[in-house]
Amino acid sequence: MTLALPTRPVSANPAHPHPALQLDGISHRFGSLEVLRDVRFDVAQGEIVALLGASGCGKSTLLNIISGLLAADHGSLQLDGVPAAHYTEWSRVAYMFQEDRLLPWRSVRDNVAFGLEATSASHADRVKRADAALGLVGLASFSASWPHELSGGMRSRVALARSLVVEPTLLLMDEPFSKLDPQTRSQMHDEVLRLQALTGATIVFVTHDVEEAVVLADRVVVLEPRPGRIRQIVPAQLPRPRVPTDRDVTEQTRQLRLQVVHA
Amino acid sequence: MSLRVSRDLASLILQRAALAAVLVLVWWIAASRVPAFVLPGPQRVFTAMMSLIQSSTFLHDVGTTLYRVLAGFALGALVGTPLGIAVGSSRTLARLFEPVLAVLNTVSSAIWAVFAIIWFGISNGTTIFVVFMTAMPLILTSVWQGAKTVERQHVDLARSFRMSRTQILRKIYLPTILPAFFGGARLAFGFGWRVSLVAETLGSSDGIGYRLRQAADLVQTDQVFAWTVLLISLMLVIESGLLKPLERHLFRWKPH
Repeated sequence: MTLALPTRPVSANPAHPHPALQLDGISHRFGSLEVLRDVRFDVAQGEIVALLGASGCGKSTLLNIISGLLAADHGSLQLDGVPAAHYTEWSRVAYMFQEDRLLPWRSVRDNVAFGLEATSASHADRVKRADAALGLVGLASFSASWPHELSGGMRSRVALARSLVVEPTLLLMDEPFSKLDPQTRSQMHDEVLRLQALTGATIVFVTHDVEEAVVLADRVVVLEPRPGRIRQIVPAQLPRPRVPTDRDVTEQTRQLRLQVVHA
Repeated sequence: MSLRVSRDLASLILQRAALAAVLVLVWWIAASRVPAFVLPGPQRVFTAMMSLIQSSTFLHDVGTTLYRVLAGFALGALVGTPLGIAVGSSRTLARLFEPVLAVLNTVSSAIWAVFAIIWFGISNGTTIFVVFMTAMPLILTSVWQGAKTVERQHVDLARSFRMSRTQILRKIYLPTILPAFFGGARLAFGFGWRVSLVAETLGSSDGIGYRLRQAADLVQTDQVFAWTVLLISLMLVIESGLLKPLERHLFRWKPH
């Protein structure tokens, strides 16, 4: 294992002088239940940030707020320095769910193209870009297959391609690989890192898997439950590639797990 | 593999041909023991069928009945589908409409036919109305059941891509409902076809149902049989030539 420092550019980009995300004092309630309290952190352009915590700490709610699907009761959210209410680039914010959510009546290619159907892209353009996205995840030869013909790992790749087809500047993932077996999950981690390096997208993902956070993230936001709030923000500065069986990785996983457990 | 499939198919065709031959034989024996106006023999019915097909009003009668069935069915689909979607996606509407649907489903087609004659007289409207009142509740119920199976997760997926309500309806709701709609439409078409004949015997001056009653009134039993055989053949052609292939194409994405 080489000890090269991370080479991914996690820095100010002249095209985007602002942080990709700025959360300030985000609070939210569902009825009388306080779900989030005063959450504040920034995410730099091209950074990978994990939201880590036990269930009930409001991490999925937080992701929904960042995606603009849910409006927070209090606090401000800025994307590329623009307040969420005035942000216009939502079509380049992609959301990847815990389940692959492929539409069974669409072929693999049409499932990927689905991501573009709310945009003004022409049909020919959509097909071309869907095929390109499928090529990125290594499934170019399966574009005419039906979802039920694919394995769980392949379906997950199709879901990833559907997120990538919009050429996202911000990719949000809600425990996207938690339903896969460990080996396939590990392959998907490599895939996400490879594609992130290629596109420079900012990634925020939710997980309860400490190892997943350590392997993928540049920084880990540790949340504690009832109400959901930030316990600590931990930088993950291990060199890449990070292999789950490496001693450094297992050590950091252990340390981080202690923090989550003592929430 | 394909050899076995084709051999299976050949043996199935042979078995069915044998079944048909036995039925015709039983018919022929039975017909030879009773007067022709009670049960005409196969040969007599065949002759009647030939002269029927060559008669000047044949195409007009078949066309008229088909038109009425299709019109009633299309109206039923046009009204039943949006209502089914509305009721299937709103609990409040569902609670409100449940008894209405129960009433619609219990009223016999014969009662609708009587009402139709009162309201529309001897006209196309009578048959179309009866087919409509039969097909519409069936389609509504099926679409309703289908709309209940729309997955929240798929709707949220579409929302995450910022799709509009119309787009969600078109890209998530309609494809989810389509199998249920197809099942309901098939049932509705079959029922509509049958009740159209009842309606035509009561309230029209042309069409297959009218000809059937005419033949029965004149004790032309061979003609009644001829119409019956023709109707069965027509339904078989529609079923295997149109509906089955359409279903195979529409639902080719389903695991077998």
